[in-house]
Amino acid sequence: MAEFKPKAIAFICNWCTYTGADLAGTSRMEYPADFRIIKVPCTGRIDAEFIIKGFEQGADGIWISGCHIGDCHYQSGNYFAQRRWSIFHDELEFLGIDTRRLKYTWISASEGRKFADEATEFVERLKELGPYEDFDQIIPKIEESGASVGGDG
Amino acid sequence: MARIGVFICHCGENIARTVDVVSVTEVARTWPGVVYAEDYRFCCSDPGQSIIRDAIKEHNLTGLVISACSPKMHEKTFRNLAKASGMNPYLCECSNIREQCSWVHHDKEVGTEKAIDLVRMMVEKVRMNHPLEPIEAPVTKRVLVVGAGIAGIQASLDLAEAGLEVVLVERNPSIGGHMAQLSETFPTLDCSMCILSPKMSAVKEHPDIKLLTYSEVEKVEGFIGNYTVSIRKKPRYVIEDLCVGCNECVTHCVFKKPKFPDEFNEGLGKRKPVYIPFPQATPQGAFIDPETCLQLTTGKCKQTCVTACPKDCIDFEMVEEIEEVEVGAIILATGFGTYKPELLPQYGYGKLDNVYTSLQMERMLSSSGPTEGEILLKDGTAPKTVGIIHCAGSRDENANIWCSKVCCMYSLKLAHLIQEFSEAQVFNFYIDIRAAGKGYEEFYLKVIEENVMVLRGRPALIEYEEQGNNGKGNLLVHTEDTISGTKLVVPVDMVVLSLGFEPDKDAVQLAKTFNISRSPEGFFMERHVKLAPVATTTDGVYIVGGCQGPKDIPETVAQASAAAASVLGILSKDKLIREPTVARVNELNCIGCFQCEKVCPYSAIEHKEIRDHDGNLIREVALVNDSLCHGCGPCAAICPSKCIDVDGITEEQIYSQLAVL
Amino acid sequence: MLGVMVDVSDAETTSTANATFRELSTLQSFAKKLLESGTVKMVIGYSQGYTSDRAMPAFITDPEKASSLIFDKRCFHNLTMYLKTAEIKCAGKIAIVVKGCDAKALNVLLLENQIKRENLVILGLVCIGVGDPTLEKCRICNVNTPPIYDELFGKPVPNKEWTSATFTRVKELEGKSQKELWEFWVNEFNRCIKCYACREVCPICTCTRCITDKNQPQWVPTSPHSMGNFHWNLTRAFHLAGRCIGCDECERSCPADIPLSLVNWKLIKQVFEKYGFIAGMSPDDLPPMSTYVEGEEEEFIK
Repeated sequence: MAEFKPKAIAFICNWCTYTGADLAGTSRMEYPADFRIIKVPCTGRIDAEFIIKGFEQGADGIWISGCHIGDCHYQSGNYFAQRRWSIFHDELEFLGIDTRRLKYTWISASEGRKFADEATEFVERLKELGPYEDFDQIIPKIEESGASVGGDG
Repeated sequence: MARIGVFICHCGENIARTVDVVSVTEVARTWPGVVYAEDYRFCCSDPGQSIIRDAIKEHNLTGLVISACSPKMHEKTFRNLAKASGMNPYLCECSNIREQCSWVHHDKEVGTEKAIDLVRMMVEKVRMNHPLEPIEAPVTKRVLVVGAGIAGIQASLDLAEAGLEVVLVERNPSIGGHMAQLSETFPTLDCSMCILSPKMSAVKEHPDIKLLTYSEVEKVEGFIGNYTVSIRKKPRYVIEDLCVGCNECVTHCVFKKPKFPDEFNEGLGKRKPVYIPFPQATPQGAFIDPETCLQLTTGKCKQTCVTACPKDCIDFEMVEEIEEVEVGAIILATGFGTYKPELLPQYGYGKLDNVYTSLQMERMLSSSGPTEGEILLKDGTAPKTVGIIHCAGSRDENANIWCSKVCCMYSLKLAHLIQEFSEAQVFNFYIDIRAAGKGYEEFYLKVIEENVMVLRGRPALIEYEEQGNNGKGNLLVHTEDTISGTKLVVPVDMVVLSLGFEPDKDAVQLAKTFNISRSPEGFFMERHVKLAPVATTTDGVYIVGGCQGPKDIPETVAQASAAAASVLGILSKDKLIREPTVARVNELNCIGCFQCEKVCPYSAIEHKEIRDHDGNLIREVALVNDSLCHGCGPCAAICPSKCIDVDGITEEQIYSQLAVL
Repeated sequence: MLGVMVDVSDAETTSTANATFRELSTLQSFAKKLLESGTVKMVIGYSQGYTSDRAMPAFITDPEKASSLIFDKRCFHNLTMYLKTAEIKCAGKIAIVVKGCDAKALNVLLLENQIKRENLVILGLVCIGVGDPTLEKCRICNVNTPPIYDELFGKPVPNKEWTSATFTRVKELEGKSQKELWEFWVNEFNRCIKCYACREVCPICTCTRCITDKNQPQWVPTSPHSMGNFHWNLTRAFHLAGRCIGCDECERSCPADIPLSLVNWKLIKQVFEKYGFIAGMSPDDLPPMSTYVEGEEEEFIK
């Protein structure tokens, strides 16, 4: 059997983590390729909808990362993000979402090493967890329900 | 219907080595809306740009995806190209297939697969882009410079000479910084104060420089071109404008003799609570230290200083003031700290007599210093031998890992000066001699010729030689000579620890106040280590001198002038162009709950009243003030009905990227 | 429409209620005065329902009808939900009868700029619980005396304080494994028919254009399939974080009997335990999602 290749999404802020990821690149630090980055200006921009939609798109894991507390490029965006995730994380757990598939980090622009390490940890963790089948079960199959994923109406 | 052009850059071999750029291009051609896709060796080169320019025109493109290096690198380049080719620049996006793909993956199949996804996501995003028009913002033609060492002084003078108003803030009672403490400067051996003090007076005298000493920046609000800065002016208790520095107050202070460690002399001398920090202090006035003044600590003092002052300058009722200034740009020249010698117990600083720091030696060598230029042991005699230990606290896994860059040169300079001004033989204990710089190697060779002994090896221990009274006597430096491979014990009368640079003690707080990042070692972080070395990620905030990293005076001065030039570039315009990536409100559906207002870090959300034809208020909706909005987006995340969105990263753009995964 | 219509005037107003509210006549005459004097244009309160076991909302504009106001155990509805309707919004100054829990919603609406304090006369009732048997929300009520009112009816009783023991129902479920919870909620949400009664009845779901009604992009799938249902209920929960006042009207009105209050009380519990915040206690307290404390750091973020 072929090795399970996770499908994962990372929402990262433009100023710290994205720059940190760039630094990992300029420093040629290797890490697994199993996630796709969506750049947002600030972690404060990250809406719970992005996460739910991510899982609905079949993501095995979602990673959110931004500037360290106190270092937000926009002063306080990550403070709001932190509170939101804190409550949402608990709620997702309560509603039966496998929260081990959610990863949260603060990675600064200078932490290229940390980015590569956390990326590796994230993918390794997802590989260990295997495919996220819970969500798969509730995704409507076109041939069964006639509904398409997402923008139906 | 979208007409999107996709360009896949090889970046020489940088991308092409791990990404099959040809297949990516072929796949891209099959996506709906992609009317043109091409790969090219260097998209950023002139020929590369002209291919893109031609494609934009020929295919009448409505969207442009450049898949190359990080957008941080060339997004501006390509957006400018788009603009020059008649396309709205905000219809161009870069997908990062170098830093975040080819450079971090080695397997070509994996790299290619990921690159295809990354390009596709950006194509989907661009499909949702719409033209944006830049926002114009007014510019305040005034600059804040924080820190008045040589870096801040140079930057202020450059800016003021170019006709800008400067507000120069210094936390100490006098300007001058570390350079004012130095004796002579390498490699030319000019007297430090002789070259600095004219600049200090020039700052004081310049009509366009407002100097605020003994002051600190409390709060910074706003954005490039339009900062509002609150400055806390601590009371000097001496009216600065009246005092002429006659010294009468100091002479008549109730403390007959100086009693408190003198900060400027690195604790080598003593001062009174009222004092003039050093002879060339600027402003040249007295200053009362609230920590040691009897009147200010106990409220009980005869206040002999007040009666002695011929001009009634002393005012114990003086209180802290907050001054607000509007500036368009900020230069941080807040300097550095030095490694704490107490953290090197093996060298005995503070425990063994005659172990000094390099800055203390600078003061000792200074003709206006505590010994008036004489090199003296604690007992008042002249040393016969002096050991200088390079890299104290630098290049050391147990201390600071980095090289402080200037210690080799200043250690050699100290060796030269000590041998010149005393009879002593100097031993320099070094790991490597790093003498890179104009005239630096030559200076090193000159010092060697002067019979300064250089020994390669990091000393392990300094202790008293066990002889004489109470076990005290000469110091023994235990070291090794790594050239001959032998252990050595070198007896010396005096030791100088060449301490390395560290981030200033206030660097953490300063970084927060000015909203800038710090590098792993704690110095302020530049926007780009090579290409934007004095800019920061916060537009309009620049960093120069020791706060950015260890550097010598010429380099500091060069940075100061570089930052001044950058600031002039911004403030020479009458209007600033701001990125139009700001939030906007769907007024039709906004219910005016103003949750967005509460999470906005910039108070950019205003209330707009919707009225009927008779002027009756129907409802209130949110309104974004374009000139305050930074486009960060917590407003969009919290809005329950998604009536506020951020241009450039709209929810549709995020949704469409998610939807193709 | 098949049942026999019961004549309201004949109904035995107290037949299903255990006790009549002692201050009822005071409330009725106060409401009458408000209408007579023209202080308010309308009084929203409870009146006898079409069947003897039910109360229903009353929108009284005629002073003489003020005597039809009732209050007893059948009055579990949260009337503040009517404040978001366009008709009431343009009605001018009105008075509204609120229990403690309902009054919490008023505070949230005031905080969120949805009602104008000067357009409102709040008739607060001291309530020791409604429903027969008494509702869960009343068992853990911390606002027997409303946190905001202009006129209080009934003798104030000291309000109970919440502790983490308050949230027993939520805690029972928290003990389950992730798989069990997933199965549980998928089964519950599967019954959702996307009628949005939960949204309509919610006093603080004030959006005029709900996120589900937005289709560019369509975050929430509108079809009542498992995924769409799950998404809708997650989204609704998140929008209520730090705002839900726990009136449980969503669960009461859910035709599919989905235990929606559990979803909400989990939020209420987390917000209370983490930030000591209870929504609706004051019109000035910023909800935890809209504020932060300098320097606070969560351990779960690495």
